[in-house]
Amino acid sequence: MVKTQPQSTFDPPRDDLAVHIQHLNYFFGAGDLSKQVLFDISLDLPRGQIVILTGPSGSGKTTLLTLAGALRRLQDGSLRVLGKELVGLGDRALVNVRRNIGFIFQAHNLFESLTASQNVEMAVELTGNFSSKRDQAVAMLSALGLADRVDYKPQSLSGGQKQRVAIARALVNHPQLILADEPTAALDKKSGRDVVTYLHNLSRQEGCTVLMVTHDNRILDVADRIINLVDGRLESDSTPNAFVHSKTQEAIAEVSADMFIM
Amino acid sequence: MIKRIPLAWLNLTHDRRRFATSLAGVGFAVLLMFMFNGFMNALYDSQLQLLNRFNGEIIIVNRLRTNMFVPRAFARRRLYQARAFDGVQDAYAMYISEVNWKNPETRKSRGVRVIAINPDEPVLNIPEIETYQQLLKLPETALMDTKSRVEVGPVEPGIISELADRRIRLVGTFTMGTDFASGNGNLLMSDQNFLRYFADRGPEEDKRSFATVDIGVVKLEPGTNVERMVNVLRENLPNDVLVMARDGDNGFVIRERNYWQENTNIGFVFSLLTSMGFFVGIILVYQILYTDVADHWAEYATLKAMGYKNGYLLGVVMQEAMIISVLGFIPGVLVSQLLYTAAGNATGLFFQMTPERIVNLLIATFIMCLVSGAIAVRKVQTTDPADVF
Repeated sequence: MVKTQPQSTFDPPRDDLAVHIQHLNYFFGAGDLSKQVLFDISLDLPRGQIVILTGPSGSGKTTLLTLAGALRRLQDGSLRVLGKELVGLGDRALVNVRRNIGFIFQAHNLFESLTASQNVEMAVELTGNFSSKRDQAVAMLSALGLADRVDYKPQSLSGGQKQRVAIARALVNHPQLILADEPTAALDKKSGRDVVTYLHNLSRQEGCTVLMVTHDNRILDVADRIINLVDGRLESDSTPNAFVHSKTQEAIAEVSADMFIM
Repeated sequence: MIKRIPLAWLNLTHDRRRFATSLAGVGFAVLLMFMFNGFMNALYDSQLQLLNRFNGEIIIVNRLRTNMFVPRAFARRRLYQARAFDGVQDAYAMYISEVNWKNPETRKSRGVRVIAINPDEPVLNIPEIETYQQLLKLPETALMDTKSRVEVGPVEPGIISELADRRIRLVGTFTMGTDFASGNGNLLMSDQNFLRYFADRGPEEDKRSFATVDIGVVKLEPGTNVERMVNVLRENLPNDVLVMARDGDNGFVIRERNYWQENTNIGFVFSLLTSMGFFVGIILVYQILYTDVADHWAEYATLKAMGYKNGYLLGVVMQEAMIISVLGFIPGVLVSQLLYTAAGNATGLFFQMTPERIVNLLIATFIMCLVSGAIAVRKVQTTDPADVF
């Protein structure tokens, strides 16, 4: 196996970074069948930033997101999340790291059998706050504009409302890091905008870091940074305006499978 | 106060129709086990219906009568000898024979068992004997068991038919039930009438008289030690007879039951069928649990992503297994109870649902669901939260 940079040097841990990735390589499979999907990724996400991760299908952005979310074991490089080194951790230790991270999925993944409040309470129960779980859940749902839907089951909620319940579940424990995979893909324009605005406000008020994978170019403007990943390598790391500008230029120059035609 | 959201219960009951189907499935497996187990026990218990009605603590039979089928009689004078001992209140004679009964409607002959006693003596705990005491003393009269098989025809007082090719009149009925030795039913008559039918049935049949008795029932004085009395009679009576207590581990009733257990395939066949019901149940419950895990796959994976450990999810699946095992058991027992009654009426066999048998099958159901749960949790363990993205 050829490593891109065998003689990597690693910086010491830094407290001001929510995610600190250095020389990260990741392989799917093992032995002769292994296939490298991420090549020497180095990336710093300071606390309080909203970062959008974008790129064509198969570029490895979802893999990067699951790695940052402590959902996979890591073999190579260095990945620090909230000051904790994930490389070399076992499954049990990874589970504990996950409790400080909020996950928002493309699908809402709510239990149909539980009410909105109960779905959110499932997250609160992880912290052991059994006496205040209902209050916390209701407060979070109210903050997302669902105060009058607290005891509804998912089947009587609209798509946007369900996604907001899922977001409430991800945020109710006030995680320092939020990982979102296409959070607006299943939503109409207005619901999508509301969700993103809420994430933006939260990041500003509570200083939490948001890493979001999206293809939705309507929401690029909330980001502090846009990172473009192509074929497992970091291609660009820029502000939204520069990103849109460069993409517009490219779209004219080449007629490739580019999903950012505006 | 720690109060977790009962996820297992809510997931199971969310879809009412599916929940009902699940319970019906478990209930059906329980029903299968109950029916096969019930038939096995009924076949055994039925052999003991007559034995349990003997009104005496000690039974005397011919040493060669290893079970109720063997037509061996012993000398009646043994009963008179037994009466001589202190502690013996009385010793009653019982005569048993197999003979053809003609169905009064179809005119077809069917074998029945004739049980004969002196109507003035309390030989059997059958209250109808006292009711019809005077009628039984009339010549050519008998009582028919209402639980006899349908082949014997209508069973009611006033029926006139033929027994051993002689006229007989039913003066009443009693209720006992059939067993292997009873053929199609039981007919109860006085010892005097027994002589009328069986004293001389022809050159090829045994000649019966009061000199020989099939079963001797010894009634002890109240408060007499049964075991001691059995030993006294064994030592003093000639060893052509076997003296046994009616009840107890070495008793006559247990010996009869053991005979059928050791000499028939009933136990093997029905244990096999019961365990098949058990495995059908395992597969059914596994299917239910697997479907639940598969349907909520993304949600369970999300829980794992949130930081729930495998142990919590295993707990949810095992709780679901427990819930459906207990809740499925209840309809299973109730329907089985109905079917026991129906099967008892149809066959004349003695179906009984004792608390011990219910508890045994409840435990079996519990194990059934735990095994299924243990197989189904593997699906949860392999759920990878990284796949939800």
